[in-house]
Amino acid sequence: MMLAGIEKPSVTFPAFFRVREVSGSYVVTNAQGDWVILTAPDFKAFGEGTVDPGSALWERLKAANLIRAEFDVPAAVARLKKRMKFLESGPNLHMLIVTLRCNETCVYCHASRANMDAVQTDMSAETAEKSIDLALGSSSPFITIEFQGGEPLVNFTVVKHAIEYGQRRALVVGKSIEFTMVSNLALMDEEKLSFLLDHKVQICTSIDGPEHLHDKQRKLIASSAFKAAVHWINRINQAYIERGLDPSLYHVEALLTTTREALSRGREIVDTYKSLGCRALFLRPIDPFGFVEKTASRVEYPREEYLQFYRDTTDYIIELNKKGEQILERYAAIFLTKILNGEDPNFLDIRSPSGAGISAIAYNYDGLVFAGDEARMMHETGDDTFLLGRVGELTYDAMMKHPTIRSLVLASNVNGRPDCVNCAYNPYCGVDGVHTYKTQGSISGRMRESTVSAVHKGIMDYLFEKIRENDPGTMEVFRRWTINRARDHFVQVPG
Amino acid sequence: MIERRFHRDLYPTTAVDGAVKLFERFARFEQADEGDYRVVRITARRPEREQKIALELSNYALGLTRQGGLS
Amino acid sequence: MSTQTLDRFPKDLAVSDLAAGSVTLTVDAAVYPLEAVYGAAYIFIDRCFVLLDRPKAGSVAVTLSPKKAAADAEALRQMAGEFANELLTQAWRQKIVEENRVILETVTTQALAGATARSAPTEPSLDDLASFDFTEEAFDDPLGIAMSWEEKYKKKTPTEAASEAPAVSGSTGAKP
Repeated sequence: MMLAGIEKPSVTFPAFFRVREVSGSYVVTNAQGDWVILTAPDFKAFGEGTVDPGSALWERLKAANLIRAEFDVPAAVARLKKRMKFLESGPNLHMLIVTLRCNETCVYCHASRANMDAVQTDMSAETAEKSIDLALGSSSPFITIEFQGGEPLVNFTVVKHAIEYGQRRALVVGKSIEFTMVSNLALMDEEKLSFLLDHKVQICTSIDGPEHLHDKQRKLIASSAFKAAVHWINRINQAYIERGLDPSLYHVEALLTTTREALSRGREIVDTYKSLGCRALFLRPIDPFGFVEKTASRVEYPREEYLQFYRDTTDYIIELNKKGEQILERYAAIFLTKILNGEDPNFLDIRSPSGAGISAIAYNYDGLVFAGDEARMMHETGDDTFLLGRVGELTYDAMMKHPTIRSLVLASNVNGRPDCVNCAYNPYCGVDGVHTYKTQGSISGRMRESTVSAVHKGIMDYLFEKIRENDPGTMEVFRRWTINRARDHFVQVPG
Repeated sequence: MIERRFHRDLYPTTAVDGAVKLFERFARFEQADEGDYRVVRITARRPEREQKIALELSNYALGLTRQGGLS
Repeated sequence: MSTQTLDRFPKDLAVSDLAAGSVTLTVDAAVYPLEAVYGAAYIFIDRCFVLLDRPKAGSVAVTLSPKKAAADAEALRQMAGEFANELLTQAWRQKIVEENRVILETVTTQALAGATARSAPTEPSLDDLASFDFTEEAFDDPLGIAMSWEEKYKKKTPTEAASEAPAVSGSTGAKP
């Protein structure tokens, strides 16, 4: 028996569509990402082509470009082009791993950290310059240089040099540039902060939840990692206010890594983020790179458990929003932007094709260049599959024409992957090829067995359930979450 | 001595030859075509080494086969 | 060689040899193209020694021997299962890529052209999709799954003009 009891399917009424049953309703999408949610009887009528012309259902289907005879080709093309706008230019995210040295030890670390005396893992000023030169060769008119580590503050001398160099060079080549730093903040001081603020560096940190959870997972010798991070979060937020910046827009954001212990602490985690003035929470599940290989038995979990955590925690976040709090869940915001706005927010790991190489490049401390940070992490565990070359030797053009990048683009296209090709969430989804290579042995992977695919489907099931419920308060929250307020202060425009 | 049989429908001769070439400094190899197979006979100083080389040879020949198919 | 069948596997599909620590799957070459067999086998060479054979015309046998210390029956069964899934994925992916070649090549070209900032791509671009007829069937149906019995066996019936084939295979969606 076919879905919804369809007995005589029509091949002339429906335009191309995919369908997924979600809690008794049918989410129907087309290739461009238009969608409707149908009851079983309505889906049966759609599938059998017995919808009355001019009826409410017919109008809904027509508006979603799902009726073959009414198919609007220009609208479909425009929608597809809008979705795929990110293809128009090259990598805008360039990650400089300025050192592997780190003053913290985190149970899930995938940064391939080194001890504090491993100075040979510091990036030199010369390598930083060559990395920035290569980054500025991108066809993207806008470049983000993101400082990572280890802990980037350990090599602050080179960070400073790279920022000053990057600002000068960006002016010469006529590109907008933005700097960001991912830091545990424990080594911050007023002098460093003053420089970073003066040079408009956006600062991001990690918070794993309330103090006891954070400190259990992120070890700082002789003191509390949580206290150190919180101190500087508050200090930086205060500094933004002192400089006349709107605190609703300018504040330190934090990243969460959801370990097993976090799964029972969703509300506490949200409350912690709220208390720190964070406006976004990214309920990311743990990934398979780095230390997690060794600590998986302690920190990993079945994805069904994660999805329940996700639902419960996001419900709580929505509830807070309805009471006037402004805090969004990042996964939801990413998917809702695609679903409700027909736009791609350009989150590189949930994109087809994924951003590895064509949108993100990682420059290791030793000058080796990789198709993204996960690709670099593979190198640190002995696998150079995604190595592109070395700064000073590699030209931008050669980098973009590298067969590794071309392979990743092809392999991560959802229209070439089994399961994805039939999935109703095809227009909104994407799974990075480096991740599937790590977990399943190939860059195209087996999506039906992919934990990332399972997470994406689970989250979108949850979102479409909410959309179907159509609670006005929830939909208003969702609408707000799709609004991207630009943080222009951090963008340094030439001239 | 240990023997490894590579069906010629599945392993191009060039792939087997290429794999043997890689390992020839670790053992003595003799090759012969017997029916549908390219048979490789491996003699090394120690039996366990013969076994290991035979196993690695199979993987390498598969890799060269795949590589040849993709080029 | 003493072989035994794998728990919950058809006996003519897979056998294990616990003494040798290996499992052998035998697949129909008409169902699984050789390229798919190569692709699936290659995925395993980091953790297995892999040997292919042709026990008889139209068949390919794949023997997987885990590199690490002797695998037990369950580990071999899991490995065989994973291989079977990878083989299916590879075989199906080949067909998908053939069917969707235009869109895959167009997107890849656009991505690389954008990254290298070519001003005038010579390959198809997204603009070319404006002339693509979306009202046509999106997918071919090489296995004839969507064909009605009458179409498949070329029989004409009085109601043939009114009878319609099942919906295109892409519409049945994935079960949760």
